[in-house]
Amino acid sequence: MLSFVGLGLWDERSVTVEGRETLRGADRVFAEFYTSRLMGSSLDELEAFHDCAIEVRDRAGVEQDPDPILDAAADADVVFLTAGDTMISTTHVDLRMRAEERGIDTRVVHGTTAEAAASSLTGLQNYRFGKATTLPFPFVHASDGVPGSVLDTIADNRERGLHTLVFLDIKVKGSSTDRRNADLATDERELEEFMPADYAAELLSEALPETLGVAVCRAGSPDPLVVADSLSALAERSFGDPLHLLVVPGDLHLLEADALRELAGAPAALVDEHTV
Amino acid sequence: MGRRKKIVQECEKLMDKPEQIRNIAIAAHVDHGKTTLSDNLLAGAGMISDETAGQQLAMDTKEDEQERGITIDAANVSMTHEYEDRNHLINLIDTPGHVDFGGDVTRAMRAVDGALVVVDAVEGAMPQTETVLRQALREGVKPALFINKVDRLISELQEGPQEMQQRLLKVIRNVNELIRGMTEDMDDVDDWTVSVEDGTVGFGSALYKWGVSMPSMQATGLDFGDIIDLEQNDKRQELHERTPLSDVVLDMVCEHFPDPLDAQPRRIPRIWRGDAESELAEQMRLVDDDGEVVLMVTDIGIDPHAGEVASGRVFAGGLEKGQELYVSGTAGKNRVQSVGIYMGGEREEVERVPAGNIAAVTGLRDAIAGSTVSSVEMTPFESIEHISEPVITKSVEAKNMDDLPKLIETLRRVSKEDPTIQITINEDTGEHLISGQGELHLEVQTQRIESEQGIPVITGEPIVVFREQPTGACETVEGISPNRHNRFYITIEPLSDELVETIQLGEASMDMPELERREALQEAGMDKDTSQNVEHIYGTNILIDDTKGIQHLNETMELVIEGLEEALDDGPLAAEPVQGSLIRLHDARLHEDAIHRGPAQVIPAVRNAVHRGLIAARVKLLEPIQNVRIDVPNEHMGAASGEIQGRRGRVDDMYQEGDLMVVEGIAPVDEMIGFSSDIRSATEGRASWNTENAGFQVMSNSLQEETMKEIRERKGMKLELPEGVDYF
Repeated sequence: MLSFVGLGLWDERSVTVEGRETLRGADRVFAEFYTSRLMGSSLDELEAFHDCAIEVRDRAGVEQDPDPILDAAADADVVFLTAGDTMISTTHVDLRMRAEERGIDTRVVHGTTAEAAASSLTGLQNYRFGKATTLPFPFVHASDGVPGSVLDTIADNRERGLHTLVFLDIKVKGSSTDRRNADLATDERELEEFMPADYAAELLSEALPETLGVAVCRAGSPDPLVVADSLSALAERSFGDPLHLLVVPGDLHLLEADALRELAGAPAALVDEHTV
Repeated sequence: MGRRKKIVQECEKLMDKPEQIRNIAIAAHVDHGKTTLSDNLLAGAGMISDETAGQQLAMDTKEDEQERGITIDAANVSMTHEYEDRNHLINLIDTPGHVDFGGDVTRAMRAVDGALVVVDAVEGAMPQTETVLRQALREGVKPALFINKVDRLISELQEGPQEMQQRLLKVIRNVNELIRGMTEDMDDVDDWTVSVEDGTVGFGSALYKWGVSMPSMQATGLDFGDIIDLEQNDKRQELHERTPLSDVVLDMVCEHFPDPLDAQPRRIPRIWRGDAESELAEQMRLVDDDGEVVLMVTDIGIDPHAGEVASGRVFAGGLEKGQELYVSGTAGKNRVQSVGIYMGGEREEVERVPAGNIAAVTGLRDAIAGSTVSSVEMTPFESIEHISEPVITKSVEAKNMDDLPKLIETLRRVSKEDPTIQITINEDTGEHLISGQGELHLEVQTQRIESEQGIPVITGEPIVVFREQPTGACETVEGISPNRHNRFYITIEPLSDELVETIQLGEASMDMPELERREALQEAGMDKDTSQNVEHIYGTNILIDDTKGIQHLNETMELVIEGLEEALDDGPLAAEPVQGSLIRLHDARLHEDAIHRGPAQVIPAVRNAVHRGLIAARVKLLEPIQNVRIDVPNEHMGAASGEIQGRRGRVDDMYQEGDLMVVEGIAPVDEMIGFSSDIRSATEGRASWNTENAGFQVMSNSLQEETMKEIRERKGMKLELPEGVDYF
């Protein structure tokens, strides 16, 4: 049996009760933290809290060489962990399919995700979000600046009055097999880097300076921060510890506008411009 | 010194009179006497003493050149010559004749408008004669012929006037056949064959410093009978005084070689693919002294005091100290520190070098041989490095670890000076690879590192460079990214020889305007639709994008190309470079989000697809081959042809020429390592022989697997061949 367990948003306690019990009954536990991280917790704290040993796999160990995980799951109860939900904004459906192909039973234990937080912390209605996108670090992407597809996604959504959830790139230790990183000195490569919302706002503000943006920071933690302002104004602020994400709202419904003013300190004039 | 100063002053006076300038190269087969001839010209111009010309080899300035008795680097010199009451400035480049140094010849031809081709009267036109002629004509450089060592016909071979005349006419006929064949397709050239009557052929002896031509014989009244008399009676000094070689040749140069005003309108369209209608094109065609500065760098030398010195042809404008100039292929500008002209091995600084001259410039730190340097950003000149690909590699290690940084720096500089040298730096193992045109080429370069830089090095055995090439077409193969969300569908087929040649000659490249590239490819046989979809050219491989309207593909294409280049650099069989393949991208499925189709996903997916496609297209290993020609007395002919056949070679022709037999054939470069000592002992030292790189050839099936395993073992790869390689 291979169980996919989402750890939720913040620390070792963000997991669901069902997830916790599944972990307790597991013979072996694998995890990957290259797609996202629990910022409020370390691997040691996770292991101590759940009283289990966690075997962390890098990208190559999941995507190119998943057989050890599948072998283990063939005749034992194995849990595969990620931050958030294992199937949202990551690509682990592939691992699940491979298990099914080998006749291994699988199940998914959900966790809360950034997608849910983006809606619930901002008051923007989840019905009114369009396609989501990720803003990569410029050095990761082949070209300079913001990839055209990111701007296209935002523009398409806005044209239809929809909000865009913009995930912000992270580079986690040993996360990458990409050559641009391989060229860096080893200690630089080992550096963890999380794109902050102000940096993201700066990148996007070149194309969309006066557009309304919402920074959502440390979702799932005891003190999350939500700030709404023009992208160029957000670029001037700083929002503290990671992780951050950014929402670029489309047209605002009345209650959405109120929520952004009340809960995220959005300037009234800017909100009015976006309200229909 | 006084005399030298005077010559510099005279040169400076003539530099801005293009109609009185001749830029010429002397080129020939090895040992046919180019450098000795150059010395004669220098002596004639008063630059070295008359007595030492012939022994001094003033143009062979490096110690190893004088030791080996051959020219290794092309050397520049400027001189003046009075002809028909007008003084002329002659900028001369002496080029190496040995096949291993062909790259220097090609580059020299870019700088000049006329090529004096020297042929040994006894040996006649040889393989390198053909090569240098081709190099000259391809650049739009007009040839003239000097037949050297005529004294040997008289004193050694005891030939009478009749025999001599016949032999000389045969040489001329052979050379003209070559010229005719090569200029057939050149619309911009009428008739460039040489003839005695026109005065474009000279005869003589560079060693004994005499020479004649039809016009000189008419002027001096000396005929062949007189010459034979004087030669036979050992009155060579008198012969020299009555008809000095330098006057005869320099007169020929002034009369028959084009000046820059004549040459540049013809040459610019050949060597520059920019907009022909532009003002810049006009300035270059007209040798416009007041135009933008345009310099084509043909050589980088090292001066112990000034550092790197770039030399090359000024096509427009005037070079001056302090100018800020663009260097093609690099960002930013370089500042000119000094400008000058060449006087033998040394430079003489001058105020300004105007259009139409050959200049020596310091301060262009980003320039390499082949760079275009200009005062405005412009389309660079056609690449001039394409003719010779490296065929032999050798590892170089510093004996002392402390020398490692210095060795790396030196190696980088060597490849900058000589672009036919390729350097692969391996910082991890400290074992660097130096690749070049032949055994001698690498030997000279590595010895120079030791003697000039004082870095003791350990060099490995020379190894030939292999290639991988598809031999059939394949069905669509799929390349899947590690996260399996991105897929690429490609096919691979071999490129036709004609298309490969078109790319090698630089007639189709990604640097040129799309329309022109399309036309060139269509002319070489590519169909119209395919030529419109060319996305990338890498080595002699072409990527065609046959997809239509795939979202996000434009954003991903750069990564696709990166993956493609990685796959082609290290082919699937033995990680040798892939050549001659046409890769079609038919379809792609991409993940919606940029982060899930980043480099870590796309590059391995494409690399994998290309490798599997190549295997499906029956990729095979190619090895470099050489044309071999051996001249040998009859009794050793069997031994000589045996030496070719015993080396997996093939003898194509055997025929008599004079009192010698000529054996012609081809053999793999790999087997030719050590040939020179073997042929010497097999023929008791009576054979003279020449080789010429002749490209790559598919190895026989029986050797494929064994060779692959050898290379894989040497490179520390898995010995097991990739899946699907089972078609030998």
